[in-house]
Parts: sequence; C-alpha cells; structure tokens
Amino acid sequence: MTQLIQTLVLGLLLGGVYALLASGLTLIFGVMDVINIAQGALIILAAFITWAIWNETGLDPLLGVLVLTPAMFLIGYALYILAIGWIQGKPASTSVILTFGLALVIEGVMGMVWTATLHRATPEYYNQSFTIGDIYLRKSQVYGCAIAIGVLTILYVILRVTWLGRAIRAVSANMSSAKLVGVNPSTVAALTFAIGVATTGAGGAIASVLYPFLPGSHYAWISRLLGIIVLGGMGSLPGAVVGALLLGVAETMTQTYISPQWATMVPWVVILFVLLLRPQGLMGQKLREDVAL
Amino acid sequence: MRRIVWLLALLPVLLALVFAAGCGGDDDDEGGADTSATDTGGGGEASGEPIRIGASLPLTGDFAEPGEAARRGYEVWMEMVNEAGGLLGRPVEMVVKDDQSDQNLVVTDYNALIDQDQVDLLLGTFSSLLNIPASAVAERAQMVYVEPAGGSPDMFNRGFEYLFFAQQATSVHQADLFSEWVTGLPEGEKPTTAAYVAADDPFGAPVAAGIQEQLEAAGVETVYSEIYPPETVNFDAIASAIAAEQPDVIAQGSAGLQDGVNLITALVAANYSPQQMFQASTPSFADQYSDAIGIENTEGIFFAVSYHVDAQTPGNTEFLEAYRAKFDEDPAEDAADAFAAAQVLQAAVEAVGSIDDQAALKDWLHANSVETILGTLSWDETGAPEQAYLLAQWQSGNEEIVLPEEVATTDTIVNPKPDWSGR
Repeated sequence: MTQLIQTLVLGLLLGGVYALLASGLTLIFGVMDVINIAQGALIILAAFITWAIWNETGLDPLLGVLVLTPAMFLIGYALYILAIGWIQGKPASTSVILTFGLALVIEGVMGMVWTATLHRATPEYYNQSFTIGDIYLRKSQVYGCAIAIGVLTILYVILRVTWLGRAIRAVSANMSSAKLVGVNPSTVAALTFAIGVATTGAGGAIASVLYPFLPGSHYAWISRLLGIIVLGGMGSLPGAVVGALLLGVAETMTQTYISPQWATMVPWVVILFVLLLRPQGLMGQKLREDVAL
Repeated sequence: MRRIVWLLALLPVLLALVFAAGCGGDDDDEGGADTSATDTGGGGEASGEPIRIGASLPLTGDFAEPGEAARRGYEVWMEMVNEAGGLLGRPVEMVVKDDQSDQNLVVTDYNALIDQDQVDLLLGTFSSLLNIPASAVAERAQMVYVEPAGGSPDMFNRGFEYLFFAQQATSVHQADLFSEWVTGLPEGEKPTTAAYVAADDPFGAPVAAGIQEQLEAAGVETVYSEIYPPETVNFDAIASAIAAEQPDVIAQGSAGLQDGVNLITALVAANYSPQQMFQASTPSFADQYSDAIGIENTEGIFFAVSYHVDAQTPGNTEFLEAYRAKFDEDPAEDAADAFAAAQVLQAAVEAVGSIDDQAALKDWLHANSVETILGTLSWDETGAPEQAYLLAQWQSGNEEIVLPEEVATTDTIVNPKPDWSGR
C-alpha cells in the first residue's frame, strides 16, 4: 500500500513539473496556431542561464525565477519580431519547420557558450526530500509544483480578467471579428508568444535543479511536452494540467508495476486511445476549420 | 483541425527518432585531425625498409573524441618504438585513415590498406560497431587484427582466428573483480540481496547480467532486476521500487552519464544507500559525475576501468612520460587502450621474429600472454581476453584503483558505503 501511494505521489509531483513546462506551449498553440518546437530548447536555455547565475553569484535558482521570467519574456518577444511574426497566418506545419530550426540554432549557441557537457544547479535542497510517514517527496519537485500552481494561476488570471486576456481570447476565437472591435492581432500575438516563452523562465529554473542537462537535452523534453498537450487538448490550459498529471502518473506506475522498459511507451499508448475516442484531446474544443478561420 | 492533431501525435515519435539518431554527436569538436600520420619519428638505430602498419580510425563523426585519442596512442607507441631502434631493427610507419565513424567506410578503408597500400600489419579501430565489420575484412585477408576497443559478445561469436581484443575482458566480465570481491567478503559482511538495473544497450545489459549471474551463483538473492530504455530521465519510481526491497548491493550497467547520475539522485531522494554500489561506467566521467551528484555522495561507489594513469603496470611510466611530453596532458583511457593494442602486436612480431607469416603471429598470440600498460593480457580461441578490468572506487573525491592489489593505487577499500550526505 505504501508503495502504491508513494508511486502515485511521485507521479503527481512529476506531472506537476510537466504541467509547468507544458503551459507555455499550449498557450502559444491555442492563440497563435504556432507549434513551438523550440519551447524545449528555450527551457534548456533558461536552465543554462539559471545555472550560470547560480554558479557566479550563488543566487538560489528558485529566486532566479524572478530574473529569468522577464528575461525569457524579452527573448520571446525578440524571437517573435525576428522570426515567428513572419509566418503568422501560415499553416501550423510552417511553424513546425521554423521553430525546429530555431531549436537547432539555440542548441548550437548553448553548445558554443557552455559546451556539450553535463550541467546542474545543486543548491542545498537539490536532492533532499520531505517525509510524511513512510512517504517521501523530493523538495525540488514540491517547489516545482508550487511554482507551477503559481504560474498557471497567473496565466489564468491574465486570460480571464485583463484586457490583454480578453484580446488574446478574442484573437484565438475569431481573428477577423477581433480586428473589427479594435484588437491588433499582431501585437496580441507578439505578447502571447512572449508570455508563453516567459513561462520557460520558471520551468528552466526548476529543470536545472531536478535533472542534469546539456544542450541536446531539449529533444527529450519537447517530445514529452507535445504528448501532454495533445493528450490534454491543444490550446487548453486546464487540459495541459490534466494531461501532465495523467502522463506523470502513467509513467511512474508503469515503471513500478510493469517494467521501466515500457515506461517510455505507455504514455503514447494512452495518447493513442484518448485520440481514438476524443480526437480533440481530453479538454480540447472541437473546431470546424471552415468557419473558425 | 483533426488532421493537425493526428499529425501532432506523430511529432513526438519523429522527434524521438531524431534524438536517437543524433545523440552522441554533440561533442565531436575534437575531429578534423590529419588523416595520415605517416611521419616517422626519431629513427635511432632503425634502418632499412620501414614496416608499415595500417589502421582506420573514427577521426570525425560520432566517435571522433575516442578516435582521436586512439590515434594519439598509436602515434606515441610508434615514436617510442622508433626511438628504441624500431621493430625487428626496421623503422615503423603508421598509415592511418579516417572512417568518419561509418561502418561502410571502415570496410573500404581496411580493404584499401590491404590491397592498395599493401601494409605489412594491421591495427584495429574504435568501438564494437566499427570493429565488427573491419575485423571481417582482416579475417578474410588472414591478417592479425588487434583491436583496442570493442568488447561486445558479438565480436567473438563468429569463429574468427586472427582477431584479438586488447583490453582485459568482454562486457559480460566487466565487473568480475567486483563480483569476486563482494562474494568473498566474510560471513556477516557478505551481502544477501542485490538489485540490478541496466540500460537497454549492447554494453549495459551484459554488464549487469554478468554481475547478476556471479552473485546468484554465490547465493546472493536477486530482489530487483530491470532493463530501462537508455533515454530514461526520471528514475524516481525505479529508485523507490529498489528502496522498498532494501537490497545490500545495487549494480547498474550503462555506458552513459545522465542515466547513472539520475539513478543516484533518485536514490538519494529516496534516502536509500546500499552497502555496496557498483556503476559501469558513469563514475569514470570524473568531474562531470562528481559535480552532478555532489562530490560527497561519490564516496565508496565502485566502477570498472581498463586503465588508470597511476596504475603500477609494466611500461606505464615510460608511456606517461612520452605521452605527456608530446601532448602536454594525461592520456585518456582510449589512448592507453590503443597503445596496449600496439604493444600486443609488437610482442607477437618480436617473438616470431618476422612479419611474413601472419598465421605464426596469431598462433603465438593464442598460445602466449603479453605484458601491456593495461597489465598482462591473454586470449581464448575466439580472441576474447581472459583477464579482469581494474576495480576502481571513489574515495575522498578521487578515483582510486582498489583491485587487483598489484596495480592498486591505494590499499584501503571503503566498505560499507557511507550513507548519502547533504540531505
């Protein structure tokens, strides 16, 4: 029984971290129809910057989030101006090619600056755990989940309460009508992309403590994150959370009760079945492309 | 929309494939070296027609780093031999080609070395992947083929007679000294249970299977034994399942760095420290390993290596002196392995007294043992070596050789492993 609860707890904590990392990706797709393959590379970039700051100044990676988030926002804005903006309105497949290219460039730059060796921020708590009875919770994962809740709440509030949020949702629902009521779609798109990239500031800070990383680590992340948002429903923030928790639990349960050998495969089986039954994902909305565009 | 979603479902799979194809290619900035190391060194008293020795190495591509290290090992050997009067009194000339880490190119290269360059002797290339096809070319030409790196069981199940592997053992026997030591502990200290976990690759799985077989034969009960995909990042559930079984020994087989580090981190988080911990070969990554798991947590962890700069093996002092003088740094393990492969060939040639009869060379190697900087090596009828890797252990933040005693760098073995610290 302890083993079952422990495995479940490990899965939920892992899922919480996944949710944090997937939130920006699903936001960018939901509003802009852009599949940002570079999101994984941006997470690793944020992890490297976190590591560099921690290494130089000793600043706790969790406090680093306060520096990293605006920094990644600016990087995201710059990327939109330099690259993403040019393909707005083009089919989603165009964005896959462009952002995959961006991911390779970012990987190359990280390799030049930090070399292709393993890095990791190791603040005092990096391999410590909280214990509740017989159950242990990795501190870095607990902090990651707390930050995930914070980031997701802020994103939710921005989308629901602010003018920008209403504009974002308007563009997402119907771009032509949004223009008619005075929303500038390209400004909104630039801000959305920048906000989506800003979430990697928090994600990268946690990732730098959780697992050692090198420039090529982003492939493993982006494939997992795409799986999560497809499962949850592309563009749905709550869907990303549900998808992340589900995949986290599926992964640890398989490792413990079936075999580690199957753990990387089971998530894809889950996704396959969800898509067979609900092609729009768990919480995605069915859109008719002919009227939506 | 529906079509896009389906397309997206396929994307992660494609990316995983790209990742699998691209991994290992991150650190090939060492390549691009000259592809022909034909400069004859010192000269000394060597005279007459040079003896030409051909090899193809992965100087570029995925294995560029170890390939370049192997080239340096061959080159240092050549210069040392020439300074000492040559081989059979004749100067030695190496002909080194670049196979770009490509299985097809390595076959082309060895065919060219034999047919066009008409070299007198051959030396092997790096990795099982490249040595498997290359050794087949040498076998067909009936030329002795001593290879410095390639311990996969698949090398030695083809009935080859001219193939010799110049390290201590195949991967199944990577941890023999560890298994012997741990099962030889006095009653009370001897472990009763063990957990095995290995990456699903040609190296990791045989290593773990080899330890498991030997410990089970000595009565150590297996409480956990699993294979994981090499790309596994999250080891929390694996560590938790292992911790629940409370094994005395944990042994991991993996050629990589990240999976070994992630298992340790997860074990620390689960606060489970075994009495003996063996990892192949993550702990040999030196600083990258100790930085990632915390240097205080390396204490007492065992691993196996073929070479150590401080090992008290015959000829090691001279090798180190020459290598440091030429390259201004300590040799990598792969450089030492290549040097040893050349020593093996040299011993056979000197014992037979001629390079004209390759069959006599291979017969001599099958019948005799050779002193190298890796220790004494001898081979069975398949060319697989019959010795054991050095057993190393992290002690006070340094890598030490603990067994065998004659080459050990310390006479203490940390046992049992202390608890993880810093939690």
